[in-house]
Amino acid sequence: MSDRPIAPNAFVLGFLTVVQDPGGYFGGYLVTNAWGRPLEFRMTTAVQPNRVQQILYGATLNEYIFADLIGKTLIEKATAQPSLIIADHPSMLPLRSRMDVPVIALPGDTTGDALTIQHARSSSPLLFSASFAHDRATIEELLNQIDPSVDLTEPFARIREAVAEARKLGVANRAA
Amino acid sequence: MPPNEVPTPGLPLNFGWLPPQLAEFTTIAIDLDLTPTYVLPPQFDEPLTANVRETRLLAQSPFVKTIGKLDLAVTTEGWKFPSPPIEYAPRAANANSESVRPVGRRVVDLPTLPDGQPMPDGLKPRIRTGPTTDHVLIKDRLLYLLQPPLDGLFNGRQLEVPFEPFPYQLEGIAFLMPRHAALLADEMGLGKTAQAILALRLLYHQGVVTKALIVMPKPLVHNWARELKLWAPDLPFEVFDGDADDRRRVWLVSNCPLKLINYETLTRDAEILADKRVAFDLVVLDEAQRIKNRGSKTANTVTSIRRTRSWAMTGTPIENHADDLVNIFSFVDPGRVPQDCPPRQIASLTSDCILRRTKDDVQSDMPPKMIKDVEVDLTSAQRIAYDRAENDGIIHLNELGDTISVQHVFQLVMRLKQICNFDPLTGESAKLEQLMHDMEEVAANGRKAIIFSQWVEPLKVIAESLKAYGPLQYHGRIPQNERTPILDRFQADPDAHVLLMTYGTGSVGLNLQFSNYVFLFDRWWNPAVEDQAINRAHRIGQRHPVTVTRFLTENTIEQRIGDILEAKRKVFNDLLSQADKPASIGLSEDEIFGLFDIGARRKKAA
Repeated sequence: MSDRPIAPNAFVLGFLTVVQDPGGYFGGYLVTNAWGRPLEFRMTTAVQPNRVQQILYGATLNEYIFADLIGKTLIEKATAQPSLIIADHPSMLPLRSRMDVPVIALPGDTTGDALTIQHARSSSPLLFSASFAHDRATIEELLNQIDPSVDLTEPFARIREAVAEARKLGVANRAA
Repeated sequence: MPPNEVPTPGLPLNFGWLPPQLAEFTTIAIDLDLTPTYVLPPQFDEPLTANVRETRLLAQSPFVKTIGKLDLAVTTEGWKFPSPPIEYAPRAANANSESVRPVGRRVVDLPTLPDGQPMPDGLKPRIRTGPTTDHVLIKDRLLYLLQPPLDGLFNGRQLEVPFEPFPYQLEGIAFLMPRHAALLADEMGLGKTAQAILALRLLYHQGVVTKALIVMPKPLVHNWARELKLWAPDLPFEVFDGDADDRRRVWLVSNCPLKLINYETLTRDAEILADKRVAFDLVVLDEAQRIKNRGSKTANTVTSIRRTRSWAMTGTPIENHADDLVNIFSFVDPGRVPQDCPPRQIASLTSDCILRRTKDDVQSDMPPKMIKDVEVDLTSAQRIAYDRAENDGIIHLNELGDTISVQHVFQLVMRLKQICNFDPLTGESAKLEQLMHDMEEVAANGRKAIIFSQWVEPLKVIAESLKAYGPLQYHGRIPQNERTPILDRFQADPDAHVLLMTYGTGSVGLNLQFSNYVFLFDRWWNPAVEDQAINRAHRIGQRHPVTVTRFLTENTIEQRIGDILEAKRKVFNDLLSQADKPASIGLSEDEIFGLFDIGARRKKAA
């Protein structure tokens, strides 16, 4: 690997999280450059499925909310097209089947049929969809290019703080 | 008649097909009128309408309830932030960076931030930027909340630095970055320059700052250039130099993102600042006490620069009066502190914009500084000369009567201080004798020392006496272009053990942390200036304790001045945290008269 640092604008990373609290599910999406510096931030209004929806969506509810409703919407609305999406929960791995961008996730309660990657850019193992096993090489190549100062688990703390700040200022009620 | 045949009325019916006993019938015509008779039913005035009632077939109504939309939906809101300039390309890291880094790099515990919560599992709190109270727009607040932590930022390849900044320096960077108005007032030697450069560099990477100007005293231009190459090698800069046309090109044509200018040149180019093309995202004032005099040309010029962000740096934000700080704020944030603001309110108005740390605050990061007051007895020749000069001087002052001014007293003080250094007739010096003794030890240990004096002449005499130690001189009589090579030689030449400096030339901004000894051959009027001098050596990068020797001759004017300054220094140390600031920390007019007990007589005369 060259000692020459990669240009900050060489590629774009998308950090995606869903925050759950009594108000519902909030999506937060941080777009950074290869150095982990913020380029764009986007968040959703709250989603609160009612009892009927919970029953009717059944086991597919989480995947639908995480991947289709929040994840896909946020990524599509953002200006910058990410080269790699990093989610903080395996429920968002199905997002990979909705768009042509590699998706990796931090481990959660369940891993499903995910495959694992160990990489220095993350203090915890990274998961990616077993249905897209061929993504491994691309993901590893991108991870290698990320600046060593970046820990992929860290930006989620920033996103949660930003979501809290935005909600404090009433942004979640007027998102459009 | 066959069963299917229709009979003809009036004719006998033929029933031949019947048996004979049954076939004897005759048809009879009957006139039968069957026209129906219509009878109208009774009529009512109001028509009758039928009530139709639904009959429920089940006892219970069926359970039918609308459950609304089954699909879920969200809306989003987003913010875009500035990105680095497209043309920006990071430099290749030093191939031997890993081996270079440990120089000056130390592992220290991160301090607990004021609002920090204890971290679980032994995790250290991260040092992050955050929005200030001045940030109202959600976009501005999010921009700083979403920045990566500063600790760890220097572990990657993106930021080439000679060594990782100390935690308190990271906090300084986190303080500067989000602020449009900031005064970094760290005690001298804590690395204000490095903090400002790194904050500027990070803002440049963000694309927030694309045009910046740094203003500094002339002797520090070289120092800034050197520090910039060290801490921001990827940030191009240009120094205002040359004639007016050259400078005009730099002001109006050059698109270099960072420009360096000294106060004198800036003041000369004051008119060009009126050009609307001259505008900066950030202006940094080094040694900002240079604008402490309200209404001075320097202050007016500096405050007239079009700018978005204003950062000031000084280790002595209050050099003499509380007004010094007010006047610095006329640049930092015009209007924040009214000119007639009561001193009690200054702290509350400015606290959000000021960051000041002393070496005591970051003691774990710095080697200790030991101050040694060496009181020497004047030589007999010096004592005779001194007593005569003082007695004659006081007689002369008394003879002046009501026409006496502070200048008259001042002249006597200067005369006496010079005698305390050297006897004017014999050249004897009690201080020099002690100094030569101390220098033997300094040189024997392979160390270097800096000697400060108020005047050039004593330095020349000292240099002559310390020839064996390779003395170098750095003062106002040394041409500007020769000064930097002198400092470089002092650092590099193992035989150059001593550097002789005047307070005026050598006390500000220079990095001489490779020296471990500082001698104050005579005392300055203001403790802040003395501290500046001491901190040339006791500053970031210093790896050994620094010994400061302050010479003082017993039973002389020096001792009286020293006593006053020491009392004031105690107050000065708390200045920024005190609501009640003293009017002055130098010697006031009354105090100067008081040196010879003339003040009381003046008051009587008045």
